[in-house]
Formats: sequence, structure tokens, C-alpha cells
Amino acid sequence: MTQTQNDTHWITEGLTVESALEHVYAKNGFHQEFVISKDSLRELAQRFRSREYFLECLSVVDYPDHFECCYQFNRWDKIHRVLVKVRNPDKTHPHFPTLSDIYEGANWYEREGYDFFGVIFDNHPHLTRLLLPETAKIHPMRKDFKGDSGTDVEDVLALIEYEDHQYEKVSQELKNKYQKDYFINMGPQHPSTHGVLRLLLHLDGERVLETYPVIGYSHRDHERMAEYKNYLQFTPNMGRMDYVGAMSFNFGYIGLIEKALGMAPSPRAEYIRVFSTELNRIASHLLWLGTYLLDLGAMTPFFYCFDDRENILDMLEMLTGERLTYNFFRFGGVAYDVPEGLGDQLKAFIPKMRGRLKDYKILIEKNIIFMKRTKEIGVLTKDQALSYGVTGPMLRACGIAYDIRKAEPYSIYPEMNFEIPTFPGCDTFARYQVRLAEIEQSLRIAEQAFAKMPEGPIKGEKAPKVSPKVPAGEFYFAVESARGHYGEYLVANGSANPYRLKQRTPSYANLSSLSSMLSGHLVADVVAVLGSTDVVMPEIDR
Amino acid sequence: MEIREIQKVTPDDIQVSEGVALFKLDQLLDKARSNSLWPLTFGLTCCAIEMMAVGSPRYDIDRFGFGVFRATPRQADVMIVSGTISRKMAPRIKTLYDQMPSPKWVIAMGGCAIAGGPFKYPGQYAILEGIDKIIPVDVYIPGCPPRPEALVSALLKLQEKITAKKD
Ligand code: SF4
Repeated sequence: MTQTQNDTHWITEGLTVESALEHVYAKNGFHQEFVISKDSLRELAQRFRSREYFLECLSVVDYPDHFECCYQFNRWDKIHRVLVKVRNPDKTHPHFPTLSDIYEGANWYEREGYDFFGVIFDNHPHLTRLLLPETAKIHPMRKDFKGDSGTDVEDVLALIEYEDHQYEKVSQELKNKYQKDYFINMGPQHPSTHGVLRLLLHLDGERVLETYPVIGYSHRDHERMAEYKNYLQFTPNMGRMDYVGAMSFNFGYIGLIEKALGMAPSPRAEYIRVFSTELNRIASHLLWLGTYLLDLGAMTPFFYCFDDRENILDMLEMLTGERLTYNFFRFGGVAYDVPEGLGDQLKAFIPKMRGRLKDYKILIEKNIIFMKRTKEIGVLTKDQALSYGVTGPMLRACGIAYDIRKAEPYSIYPEMNFEIPTFPGCDTFARYQVRLAEIEQSLRIAEQAFAKMPEGPIKGEKAPKVSPKVPAGEFYFAVESARGHYGEYLVANGSANPYRLKQRTPSYANLSSLSSMLSGHLVADVVAVLGSTDVVMPEIDR
Repeated sequence: MEIREIQKVTPDDIQVSEGVALFKLDQLLDKARSNSLWPLTFGLTCCAIEMMAVGSPRYDIDRFGFGVFRATPRQADVMIVSGTISRKMAPRIKTLYDQMPSPKWVIAMGGCAIAGGPFKYPGQYAILEGIDKIIPVDVYIPGCPPRPEALVSALLKLQEKITAKKD
């Protein structure tokens, strides 16, 4: 979708612009790019905020002679991706202005920038480490960082000692500061934090005053790994970032590299990609439904949902050979062709799943406990969603039909006949409704894609036989994962591995909004609200 | 003292009727333990999803008495380390292990828990390369992720280990 943005002089009017560029959207995913001075950044962000742009992503890049903060702003209704860059030549302690008071979503991005690069955001309310442990002394994404392999056990022991000490200190401090209120830790080992999330809850009796998510317990340095490995070697990581909806992540990465190489996959591969991704999306939503209801105290839905999910996994296993961490997409195609018998299974599965959906609806929505625990709980307003950059089913539960499959159509989605379900409730119940409705839509897409699939090779003619070299440049490509907007910002320098590959993962922004959804609720609702965000921790921690 | 007495009893000394089996007391305890292994509800990353899958109808580990997942380490017998151990998480895993009452067992599930898996490369800074660097492991399951059947088989192996003759 290329658009000429005629009326965009408001963006930089009266500000110090070092350079401005018009991009060809189809080529690298951006519409416009500005390099501006540090002092103009806040003013510019305010303009975007007042015109309902959300902060899509903030990536820090370490260049040989400067640090660069790349802010991406975008709209929900009419795609207009603006890349704003701010540079600082100070290579030891670069300072940048904070945007965390304008966009609340910037808070975590900036902390991550500090964590990975040692970049300092002035006036940030809480500039501490986000993903690495507090004892870490490194800024690992800097180009001069050489690695830390041998020290893993030492690091762990140091952290154990530090935490013992810290616990005493902090609890004493809190005791002195708050006579009545108290703090409890939920996680990182807790059955309903879906992996290893830790929430520090500040309570007044049963009421939650403030929630501080502590993340990074499954940080596995995907981004640095991308710089270490070549383009092909990095593909298996995609299945492990969001392992519940791994196909979308395959789609995102392979799509990005194809875009950068200016290459298209074979037509048959496109259809295989789409139907497998949609099946995977259903599996992801089913897993969510089962575990969410389990969190709310219902045991049986878990068995039903996992049963259905196993049917999908059978089909995907026939196709890919894997159950979970798919590494199925290849540059220019897919790894294997559709095996015999898959079509029959799919044909049997789709009507069965439709019947099951009806049952689920009745069983769940007629349950008064479920309704009482989810309705008007965890409300996220449209403005808050904008401020945090929330996307995916959580945003569509605020009544906003933003879905990359329609907003920035990729692959063969424009040919597919489907709707974007939205619900106006803004609460946890609406999120449940959206996901259930999406299962139905995904069934429709999978059905169509499978039926229309043409014969032919599964790899494009230009598909590289070895790991490709991506021409120098900057690229962005986004797909709709089961949790929302998954995008990747690639800085390539023409060599065999990426110079920088920033992962903009959906749950990251979605989870950062948790604190505003929870304030004022009872402790018992924490699980209901957290579950409704459908987070996958390794995708946040990367 | 009394325990010794019981151990000396031979089948000839007592009336053996149908449905009676004779064990040394510690063997009996081992037998009981091995058939009611309660795992800790504790997932780390990808492999944890496969750990959940074994509780689902298709794999149904309740058949073996392993299905009672406990959310608190103080009631758990076996810890299934299912996933990548980040350096930030490792101290917590150690704490959880220390909180489990003895006798306790550990299963390292997947490449990551065994030795860092796909995230091990020269110069990595984020993970601990194998859980056995900080706690002892009884059974290793290779795979990325291991299939649910593999986890079931690991639990059966653990049963064997627990009930094996010790002298
Ligand atoms: S072994 Fe593989 S599937 Fe298991 S946690 Fe590690 S990366 Fe994930």
C-alpha cells in the first residue's frame, strides 16, 4: 500500500531538521524519515501524540561514530510509518531526552536502551535495568562488547548473594516508608504468570495501588545472536521467541529478508504459509482459552482446548515435522510441500472446530462466575492503548480494527475473505470475545487458502541456496501475530549478518500497560487481568 | 530398633495370603514415592508448553500418578527444569530447589536445561549453560523441545531409578 502523504508539513514545521527523506513504502516499509536534533524530539513527539499516532518502536543502534535512537510513529486507521532519528556522537555516556511522559510505552523501550547500550534518557522516572539482572555490569549490545561466556556460574552466584542482601534492605526501606501498605511478589514462579513473569504488587489491603512488572527472567539474547549469526542461521530462533504462535514469527522474519532482498516466494508457498499460520493462530488462541479459564478456576476447559489443539498440532506436525518450535519458512518458500492426507484432516477439522466453538460459547458465557470475573475488569481505554502502543486482540477489544493483515496487507491476505472482529467493551471479557471470534475468522482463512492453493514448486525461482547477503539499508516489516503487531527493524550493511535487528514484539507493549489496567482492582483480579493479556514471556524478554 | 525387627521377618514367619507383598520398609517407601511423584508447577520457556501438554488428555500423565502438579516447592518431589535458564532466573531455580523437601529429584528437559541448547554460542551473556552447574540432575531429556512422550519416559526412568536396588 503506497500512499503519498501530502499533508505532512506539520511534522517538522519550525523544528531543526538535519535531513528528511521520502521512502518508498513497498521497498523498505517506511513512508518518511527525519533526522532531527535532540532538542526538537519532545516537541515532535507531542505533535504525533496529539494527532493520534502511536509509538510503534524505539530501537537504539550503535554506529561507529555515534549512537542513534530510531523512533517509529504510526497510525491505526491509515498507515503512515514515520522514522525519526536522533543522533548523539558521545560514545561513552550518550544522553537523549525521555519520551516516557508523552508515550507511556516509551518507558520500557528507554530502559531497554539503557540496559543494552548504556544510553541515558534524561528525566526518565526510573532508569534501571530492564532485562538483565541488576548486578550486570555490561551493556551487551554495544559493538565493543566481546562476550561473557565463561562467567555464567560466577554471575549467578553473585546475583544470589546480592539478592539475599537486597531483600533485607528493600523490605526494611519499604517498612519505614509505608506503615500500612504492603508489597507482595507474584512470580517469577507462579502458576498463572505463564512462564517467568514477576509482578511486584503494592497493596492497600486487598486493593492494588500499583503494579511493577519485573521482566527479563527468560532473556536469551536473541538480538545479539542475530548479529553473531548469519541470516539463515538465525531462522531457528524465530520458533523459540513466541513458541505458541511460532509461524507468525517465521513469517515476520522471512518476510523481512525477502523484502530486503526484493524477492517473492513461489505462489504455492504463499498459500501454504497462510494456512499454516492461521492454524497456528487457532492453536495459540486455544491454548490461551484453556489456560485462562484454568487461571479463573475452571479445570475442564483446559482438557477440551488442549484436545482441539492437539488436532491442529497433528496437522502442523505432518507439514513441518515439529510440534511447537517451527522452523518451516525458507527464504523464497517453505521447507516442505503439503503431505498426502493433510487436506482430509483439515476438512474434517474445520467443521468440528466450528461445532466446538459453539459449545465453548454456551458453556463459558452461560457461566455466571466467568461473567462476573471478567466483565468490566481490567479496563484499558483507547487513549491508554495509544499511549502504550498496545496492539492485537487487546486493541481490538477497545473497538479499534487495527490488524496488520488488513492495515498493511502482506502475502496473499488481500485475496482472502475475512473480517476483523472488534468489541467495544475494553475489558477482559471483550478480549475473550475477540479471540473467540478470531478463531472463526482464522478457520475461514485457512479453509480458503487451502482450497485456492495452486500447484507448483514450493520455492521461488530466485530463492537463495545459501545464506543471502542483504544489501545495505534499513527495512521494517510487520505481521499480525496471535498477540498483535510483530515487526522487525533491520539495519543491514551488505555483509552476511545483520548489523542490528530490533524485534518489536507485541506482548512487550501489551504487558507494559498492565499497571494502568490493574490499579484499583482486587488482588483476586490480578490473575484475571494478566491472563487476558495473553503474554508469552520469552517473546517479551527476547 | 523396631525397623530392624521387621526387616528380619521372612515370608515363612507370617501367613501369606493373596494380595500381600513383602518389602523392606525403605523399598516400600521408594515404591510409594515412585508412584506418586508430584512435579513442581514451574515452566521456564518453550519446553514448558510440552510439559503442559503431558497433562492434557492425549498424554494424560495422571495414569502414572505424576499428574498432581504442585504450585509450591514445599509439596513437590520432582522439579522439571523445562526451558532456558537465564542468568537472572538461575538464583530463583536454586531457591526453589532448596525449598523442596528431600528426597527430591530433578529432570533436565530439553537442550537448554542440559547445556544451553540453541542459545549457547561463543560470547553469550544471558544464559546459564546447563542446570547441572547449580543443582544435581537425575534424568536428562534431549530434544528441542522433547516430545511429551519423552517426558513421560523420563518420569518412568526416574521411577526405575528410585526403586532400583541400592545395595
Ligand atoms: S530446548 Fe529448545 S524448546 Fe526447549 S526451551 Fe530450549 S530452545 Fe526452547
